[in-house]
Amino acid sequence: MTRTSTPRTSTTVGAGTASTAARASKPARSSKTPGTGRPVAGTLAVAGYVVMIVPILFVVATAFTGGRTLTFPPQGFSLQWFEKAVTYAPFTGALVSSLQLAVLATVIALAVGVPVTLAIHRGRLPGKGLIEGMFLSPLIVPELVVGLALYQQLMIGFGLANFPTLLIGHTALMMPYAVRVTGASLALADPSLEEAARGLGASPVRAFFTVTLPLLRPGIFSAALLSFVTSFNNVPLSLLLQSRDFRTLPVTMLDYVQQSYDPMVAAMATLILAATVVVAVVAERTVGFAKIFGGINK
Amino acid sequence: MSTPESAAERPAAELRGISQVFGDFTAVDGIDLSIRRGALTTLLGPSGCGKTTTLRMLAGYSAPTNGTILIDGDDMTRTPPEKRGLGMVFQSYALFPHLSVAENVGYGLKLRRVPADERARRVAETLDLVGLGHLAASKPKKLSGGQQQRVALARAIAIRPKLLLLDEPLSNLDARLRVQMRAEIRRIQGETGLTVVLVTHDQDEALEMSDDMVLMRAGRIMQQGAPQSVFPAPANRFVADFLGYENFVSAADGTSLTVRPEHLVVEPPAGGAGGAAAPAAAGLHLPGTVTDVAYRGVDLLVTVAAIDASGARVRLVSDVRATGTSSLAPGDDVVVTAPVSRLVALAD
Repeated sequence: MTRTSTPRTSTTVGAGTASTAARASKPARSSKTPGTGRPVAGTLAVAGYVVMIVPILFVVATAFTGGRTLTFPPQGFSLQWFEKAVTYAPFTGALVSSLQLAVLATVIALAVGVPVTLAIHRGRLPGKGLIEGMFLSPLIVPELVVGLALYQQLMIGFGLANFPTLLIGHTALMMPYAVRVTGASLALADPSLEEAARGLGASPVRAFFTVTLPLLRPGIFSAALLSFVTSFNNVPLSLLLQSRDFRTLPVTMLDYVQQSYDPMVAAMATLILAATVVVAVVAERTVGFAKIFGGINK
Repeated sequence: MSTPESAAERPAAELRGISQVFGDFTAVDGIDLSIRRGALTTLLGPSGCGKTTTLRMLAGYSAPTNGTILIDGDDMTRTPPEKRGLGMVFQSYALFPHLSVAENVGYGLKLRRVPADERARRVAETLDLVGLGHLAASKPKKLSGGQQQRVALARAIAIRPKLLLLDEPLSNLDARLRVQMRAEIRRIQGETGLTVVLVTHDQDEALEMSDDMVLMRAGRIMQQGAPQSVFPAPANRFVADFLGYENFVSAADGTSLTVRPEHLVVEPPAGGAGGAAAPAAAGLHLPGTVTDVAYRGVDLLVTVAAIDASGARVRLVSDVRATGTSSLAPGDDVVVTAPVSRLVALAD
């Protein structure tokens, strides 16, 4: 025991000094980069942020207006439009519909997508590439075409109600995320991990639940997040497949803007933005973006 | 159950006529192998020789195309890995990143429904055996490569496996640690009395660690036995080459002979007497010309071009201790000799 512990201590000391040296040299290098290092890239980055963020700030600002129109600068400060937005029945109804649709479609997409991913990455089935391609195709096929096809075949052809049709459409739209994002984390995971679990006495099912699934959790979480946002924000499919009794929030807001141009839409948009930021912060705190978008618990 | 004597003598595992065919590639080509109980057996060979495939078939991760696998006398050819009761250490260690060191080591015990208090005791015991008791609560990614390797060993040992299987366990460690871990694995094997099968491509590792070594090539066993019997007497050119015999010549009767570089003596020709090759009974005696002299610190390698008894051009390498630095230079005429006791006749 003593024989082995001595060299180990010496290697730890060596590693310690090396990392301290690396840490010490870092700030000196990074302090140069933003200002003086790359003026063109820096300017473009700032310009990019301005183009993306400023219009959003205008919307947020007009939501707090005391006036009656969607104009900038806002006239006075009030929360009246927020109050109106959250009590406006078409908005609240549509919000519930949107949430129902997004949650259900996300659950179904993951329930189908995760096993498909496992089959593609770990199974021995022929034509893996073709299968994966099929599940990724909704990324490429225009949504209007998908919507029209579903409308024609399912709603007209089979007389399916618009909620199940929308659910099928949204689930299909999410398949690429469910398959690709969890697939990315599975591809990064060491296949020996499952074999190690088997060797230690775990059945294939047990190995999946005690090893594979915990490793995939960040991947599944990020796939769920992306799927949910995709469904919640979707306009083309939801627009084509809407009905009098079932309409999603973006479609309802679009309808509203066409009829009346008042700050209530800005207030609603601001609320959605705030909710998105909360979700992002929670995701960052619980799992971390590096893990979510890296997709692997390593 | 049979009597203790026969159980002790029975091989821990036996492979009978095992083949593994992937499409039109034969990875393992009908091998027979008996794993001696309580011994450390190494499967040694270059990449693609079928050593890892053999280990994976033994562990149950792939089924042989043909043949029978007996573990402890029971036919386990088609038994899934979870029902074989073997401990495996993977080249990548395959530690569960979401579990602590103690949870990793206790994983197999938990599946065996070992009560929590006994489990904790056995985990602690096994971690002490590998010298990592103080790291029980750490996550694997916080550990160094050497420490991860010890955790992987502990995890495999904790289930008291019938066989401990090690797939290139030392290949991811730096050179110094690798040499330390050889002795460490031998110590652990001695203390636990486990039967160990180790796959490696490193002949030094195999020579140092093995009780039995099995040299493989292209899915077949080329030679097996104790290092002390295999090393001085390679059976064929492949084994000789793999074990570092660099000089291959034909005798006058056509026999292939080999000799290690450190047993080949290179000298200036003795005044006029040098010339014809002496008969094989008197050992090797060939005239030649130095083509290269390479200084390697401890060693000095002298390369000589010569013509052997069959008339073929041969390249001979002599390893001269650098302390006795010779004055040889490329272009010098020399005589290469080796005593008959150092010459090994090869089957092919």
